[in-house]
Amino acid sequence: MFPENVFQYRDRAPRPVKPSDSGDDPVEEGPQRPKVERPDSGDILKRMRKVDPNQARRYRQRTGQ
Amino acid sequence: MAEKTRLFGLETEYGIQVDDVDDMDVVVESMELIRCYLHENFVARWDYERENPRLDMRGFEVDQLRNDKDETEHLQRDRERKIPLKELKSDLIIQNGARLYNDHTHPEYSTPECWSLFDLLEQDRAGERILFHCAQQRTATRQGGTVRLYKNNTDFEGHSYGCHENFLIRRELPFQEVIDALLPFVVTRQIFAGAGKVGVEQDRRAQKKVFYQISQRADFFETIASVDTMQRRPLVNTRDEPHADAERYRRLHLIFGDANMSEHITALKVGTTVLVLDMMEAGVLPQWSLQDPVAALKEVSHDSSYQWPVALADGSHTSALEIQRRYLDKGRAFAAGRDAETDWVLQQWGDMLDHLGRDPMGLVGTCDWVTKKWLLEAFAKSEGLDWEKADDRAWLQSQDLEYHNIDPEEGLYLLLESQGQVQRLIEDAAIVQAMVQPPQGTRAWFRGRCIAKFGAAVGAINWDSIEIEVGGRMEVIDLKACVDADTANYYNQVLEEVQSVEELINRLPPERR
Repeated sequence: MFPENVFQYRDRAPRPVKPSDSGDDPVEEGPQRPKVERPDSGDILKRMRKVDPNQARRYRQRTGQ
Repeated sequence: MAEKTRLFGLETEYGIQVDDVDDMDVVVESMELIRCYLHENFVARWDYERENPRLDMRGFEVDQLRNDKDETEHLQRDRERKIPLKELKSDLIIQNGARLYNDHTHPEYSTPECWSLFDLLEQDRAGERILFHCAQQRTATRQGGTVRLYKNNTDFEGHSYGCHENFLIRRELPFQEVIDALLPFVVTRQIFAGAGKVGVEQDRRAQKKVFYQISQRADFFETIASVDTMQRRPLVNTRDEPHADAERYRRLHLIFGDANMSEHITALKVGTTVLVLDMMEAGVLPQWSLQDPVAALKEVSHDSSYQWPVALADGSHTSALEIQRRYLDKGRAFAAGRDAETDWVLQQWGDMLDHLGRDPMGLVGTCDWVTKKWLLEAFAKSEGLDWEKADDRAWLQSQDLEYHNIDPEEGLYLLLESQGQVQRLIEDAAIVQAMVQPPQGTRAWFRGRCIAKFGAAVGAINWDSIEIEVGGRMEVIDLKACVDADTANYYNQVLEEVQSVEELINRLPPERR
């Protein structure tokens, strides 16, 4: 079966039920949307430049469902 | 409806590629990748006899399912391999209750059935991790080449594969009413749930003027309702395989949606659909009659003004945003305050629609099609790319593909996630746990724990049954009734308490064996 030494069984992580300090979400229960500022594009552009321009041209799949 | 009354799940087919090899046999690659989950030899256990994908919910059975020309030729070659279907599919039920298998050469992870959106998120993300681990194992064991998996829906050349959503619904509503009720929601949900795509497929005229659209799948739908999934795809799939009491339930199998990387969008996609189904069953859904739902699906996806006009059957127009707002308003009136998860869905749905109406690009880091568009535009600007030039667009398609790469060291979405630049809803520890633990309170718990506890005794297995060896004979445990939370809890309690298969069989209700 799946190698259990890759990870450990843990007690179930608690559901995020307390409101965060996000401010603009009045609902008191359930996970809130943390503020995510517009991502910084610097690092990601470096990563994107490493993508082979022809990767999509080589990517051929069979029809699935 | 209160909590724990509707089970749901996701089945995601992944794209697979092996780089640095000249000739990839995708049948063998997908099969071997799935088997990398195991430490021992594969044993075929999935019970196909209980499946009949040709049964239609409208009360008939088709002679055969459709395939496109390419796939028909591939299938002929597959038959010449003389590998039994069970071996090709390499079907596994794994210890978290999920199904892992080779579906038409796409590694597929079908989540276990869940009661809760956040259980579903954990299980869906667990599937990514499990498959990535399998890809790493396959890379290590094959003779050269790197195996990569993509959680997307197209190869940009007309071959699509799905992320299907399954919802247990009541059977008493005539299925034509289900179709009519859902169509406006199906056509418009993509304004927040779409994963975005560079280019257009299947439409030469649109290809000349649409360079980015909000949905990956919209181009591939050709009819309103049918039992088919691989050609002439329908907005509402009519396959009738409830995996539960067929007198009481249907399994609504929706195939029109995109595979999402964003946790927020996966939760909202499924959560809004659950709410719409609740309203449908209560008879309180707002009603529209669209002029041409199939055309509208594509028009909404292709519309770069993001006004998303939709033509109605009476000749008037509304917008996808307005349709979604009406569903939301009705949802608030119907279900606000009933439970925390519903309130979360209503709040986030409203928030989402407000942003889409004001400035969709304010949803970078939340909404997949918006985040992808932002990345592509930034890259095109930095490299001086022209969307109208074929070579430049091919590079942008490569970036589109890379957004969905599930390797955390390579995938663009996962890179943003690792940097804390996208919205998260669940913790990594919960995902790791979900890789081995089924969702609590479900029959998936019974299925997964039965595999973990008595796996050597398990014979044939399916979503709704387990054949198990006891005292030299095979007994079938029928799990159809375990779509009820109380019944599932009872079965799960028994399973946790027993020390042997014989004790398990003796303690389960006789009518369920």
